[in-house]
Amino acid sequence: MLVLSLLEDQPRHGYDISKLIQVRSGGALRFHVTSLYPLLHRLEKQGWIVGRWVEKAQQRRRRYYSLTVRGRVALRAKQQSWKDFVALISRVTGVEHG
Amino acid sequence: MADWRRVVRARLADLRLTPSAESELTEEVAQHLEDLQRDLQSGGASYDEAYTETVSELDDIYALRAGLDRSQCMTKYDAVPVGDATSRSFIDDLRRDVRYAARAMRTNPVFVLVVLVTLGLGIGANTTVFTVINTLILNPMPVRAPSELVAVASVASVSTAQANALMPLSYPNFSDYETQNGVFSGLAGYARMRALTWQADGGSQPLLGEFVTGNYFTTLGVGAATGRTFGVEADTPGDPQAVALMNYGTWQTRFGGAADVVGRQLRLNNVVVTVVGVAPQGFIGVNGLVGPDLWLPFAMAEQLLPTEMRTAVRDRSKPLLQGVARIKRGVTLAQAQASVAARAAALAREYPAANEGRTVAVRPIGEVLFGGGSTVVRVAGAVLAMVAGVVLLIACSNVANLLLARSAARQQEMAVRVALGASRARLVRQLLTESVCLGLLSGGVGLLIAYVGLELLARSLPATGIFTTSRLDGTILLFALLISVATGFIFGTIPALTVSHGGVSGVLKEARTAGRSARRVTVGNVLLAGQVALSFLLLVTAALFLRSIQQAYQIDPGFKADRLAVFITNPGQAGYGEPQSDAFYEDVRERVARLPGVESVSWASNMPLFARPVDGLQIEGRPLRSATESSTTIVNTVGRGYFETAGVVIEKGREFADLDRPASLPVAIVNEKLAQDYWPGEDALGKRVQLPGEQQMREIVGIARTGNYSSWGEPPQRCVYVPMEQNHLPAMTLYVRSKGDPAQMVNSVGREISAAGPQVLVSGIRTGQQVVDGSLFQARIGVALLSVIGLLALGLASIGLYGILAYAVHQRKREIGLRMALGASQSAVLRMMVKQGVSLVVIGVAIGFAAALLVGRVLSRILYGVGGADPVSLAGAACVLGAVALVACYLPARWATRVDPLTALRQA
Repeated sequence: MLVLSLLEDQPRHGYDISKLIQVRSGGALRFHVTSLYPLLHRLEKQGWIVGRWVEKAQQRRRRYYSLTVRGRVALRAKQQSWKDFVALISRVTGVEHG
Repeated sequence: MADWRRVVRARLADLRLTPSAESELTEEVAQHLEDLQRDLQSGGASYDEAYTETVSELDDIYALRAGLDRSQCMTKYDAVPVGDATSRSFIDDLRRDVRYAARAMRTNPVFVLVVLVTLGLGIGANTTVFTVINTLILNPMPVRAPSELVAVASVASVSTAQANALMPLSYPNFSDYETQNGVFSGLAGYARMRALTWQADGGSQPLLGEFVTGNYFTTLGVGAATGRTFGVEADTPGDPQAVALMNYGTWQTRFGGAADVVGRQLRLNNVVVTVVGVAPQGFIGVNGLVGPDLWLPFAMAEQLLPTEMRTAVRDRSKPLLQGVARIKRGVTLAQAQASVAARAAALAREYPAANEGRTVAVRPIGEVLFGGGSTVVRVAGAVLAMVAGVVLLIACSNVANLLLARSAARQQEMAVRVALGASRARLVRQLLTESVCLGLLSGGVGLLIAYVGLELLARSLPATGIFTTSRLDGTILLFALLISVATGFIFGTIPALTVSHGGVSGVLKEARTAGRSARRVTVGNVLLAGQVALSFLLLVTAALFLRSIQQAYQIDPGFKADRLAVFITNPGQAGYGEPQSDAFYEDVRERVARLPGVESVSWASNMPLFARPVDGLQIEGRPLRSATESSTTIVNTVGRGYFETAGVVIEKGREFADLDRPASLPVAIVNEKLAQDYWPGEDALGKRVQLPGEQQMREIVGIARTGNYSSWGEPPQRCVYVPMEQNHLPAMTLYVRSKGDPAQMVNSVGREISAAGPQVLVSGIRTGQQVVDGSLFQARIGVALLSVIGLLALGLASIGLYGILAYAVHQRKREIGLRMALGASQSAVLRMMVKQGVSLVVIGVAIGFAAALLVGRVLSRILYGVGGADPVSLAGAACVLGAVALVACYLPARWATRVDPLTALRQA
């Protein structure tokens, strides 16, 4: 879900994804390359994301991953179930979040 | 900046990814690490710190392995390593080759299916034939060391073409040979099988009994499956034990395998006999195809068959026992023969009346198993085996051609391998592994086909259980395995050598443009011409046998088989005395004659085509016996109206009539052959003959036309008919000639016989046509098998022809297109392609023709009325083959004319 949501607004390459996860989580979450790339390949195989080699001027070609329509649907579903889960936990623990 | 690609590739090497997956992943991960290192360094870290940090990313290689999809990984081993990897062991290589072969097969299931069916049929046919031959000829007796066994029989001391038949020994002579010989460790005797009447539950059933001497089972080395066998103690003349050993098959089918069969008492011919044991499964005595239901001590014969055997133990001139001996270790057949012949000469001096002019022959046991038919069975077996082998050869060459055609597609693959350093031997080995794998799979299919074939064969035999049965056993499996592997080598060698041959660059260049090299065309064509030749040969063989059997049915057997039915009765075995039997015969004749639909009815001692000649006919005014002259004749005791009922023509003189009574002048009717032999150019009427075993001369009152007496189409035999009023017999055969279909009155006649004698066993009920068909049974089976196999061969060859031409059309598409574009008409193209096929067929037929003439010469020994070089068979086979071949050529040629020049040229 993390990877999918990062790709929601724009296509990104692998290093970009791992850096964003690390930065946004304040360093708490970190993916090694040995788990990140198999994960990306698995998501691609499931048809949720698609990777393309893109060549930009003055840069080496990079593989950019973008969300597919199916990926978007899957993300929505996962986000919803996560929200439901968090709400459920909150009600049980009695903690309210703004 | 570090070379991250190199680092990553080194780490990934262990994972054995597919090449495309590896290069992508390497690039992606390398970039990632590069970016990371750059960011770390720009964040203030030293090169070393950044490098260490970055490399640690790759530490957890297991996560990568686990996370990767299987499809991105390669198999654990290379199927075939690039180049010539001889460093590994042979077994390793073999395993790799087999794995590769399996993969190649999976990619081309249709090809594999065609190969499996083609070869499966070939191997199946061979396995079936081998099983039959193995059972009947090679290994017929489940006894100890069968190769030590020999047949001992009486023969004429001066053998002529007609008089070298093996005859039984008399009991006194047999005893002399048995007690006084130094070459056999045992000599046992057995009499020919006789039908006995088994009286049980108020009815009568026939059981076949074989009378054997007491040392029979010890000599053969046969024990009992259940209970015990009997020995010499049971076989004391004058004081025998009433015991019997039962055939395993009889035990299973007639007695339901009952556990209490040992000790059971059977009433046979009014004598109670105790079953003491059951013979081992598959043992049917010294017999080829049919064994007895029971073995009985020879000394019991006198009680069970009083009329026939009364003098058996004393009469030196009564031939009864076939000898089977176990030859001593180290004694050769010739030594045994010489020793026994010396003894025979002494016996001939001692008892000239019975033994003069006769000696004793020692022969391999295989020669007597099928009686007089041994040669026929052997020749037929050899023919069948060869024919089946030829079918397999055709199947092999078909598959070889298929492989050749397919190899065009693999030419490039091979060339690339050679270019990368594979040796030719290595490639040949790998291709051969593929063929042998195919061969083994086909062997499996073949075994299945053989199993079905044997089941069908077994079902076509009567289910009495006394026949030998062919089973798949270890020997057969080994045979199938060997033949499969050999097949794989045969059909694989030529394509393998062809494929791996040829220069690398030549092939690489040629592959796209031309297709068939001249060499492959030649090899394929040779194979094809060979196939045509072989199938022509098989067709001719089948045609010869077919014509032969047609001719055989044209033979005049000397009696009229249509509208005839025969019934064997044996009142003597039911305990009837002479007056009772005579009353029974007369009663039956009158009852049956009254039945509607019966034209005439009579009695005779002989079944048509089942008579046996006897020796010792004497002619008035001639020397009693000369050493070289054979005086064998058929003797048939017949009732009034026999000649009319059986349809035997009286050429001269009269039939038997009411005036021929027991007390009146003894009379006989002889056939033309006998009259010709003894009174050439004279009138035989009024001459006198004396039958073997009779005391007075009989006057000849009539001459009958010569017919077939023992077998269909036999050489003419002498025959003497005597009236039943003057020669009482305890068993006779009823002949009934009907007005319509004889099969319809069989039941009513059977009822009348039972009404006249409720205790009397009626057996062997057959119509005349069944008798004729029965005597031609072997020939008909042979023709049926040969026809099936011949058609199979024709089918395979035409498929091969079609395949190779279709392939040629495919390869020459461009050329054909070009020709048509340049103005060649469709018919010209058609002619061109058909010509290619037909020329092959013509060559094949020419070779086959020569071969057929050779084979025909061998076959002429077992053909009726057809020469080995029968023009009708040759022309017929040529026509059939030509027609089929033309169709097989025409179809692909038609396809060639439909080639669109534009498409063909553009494709090329």
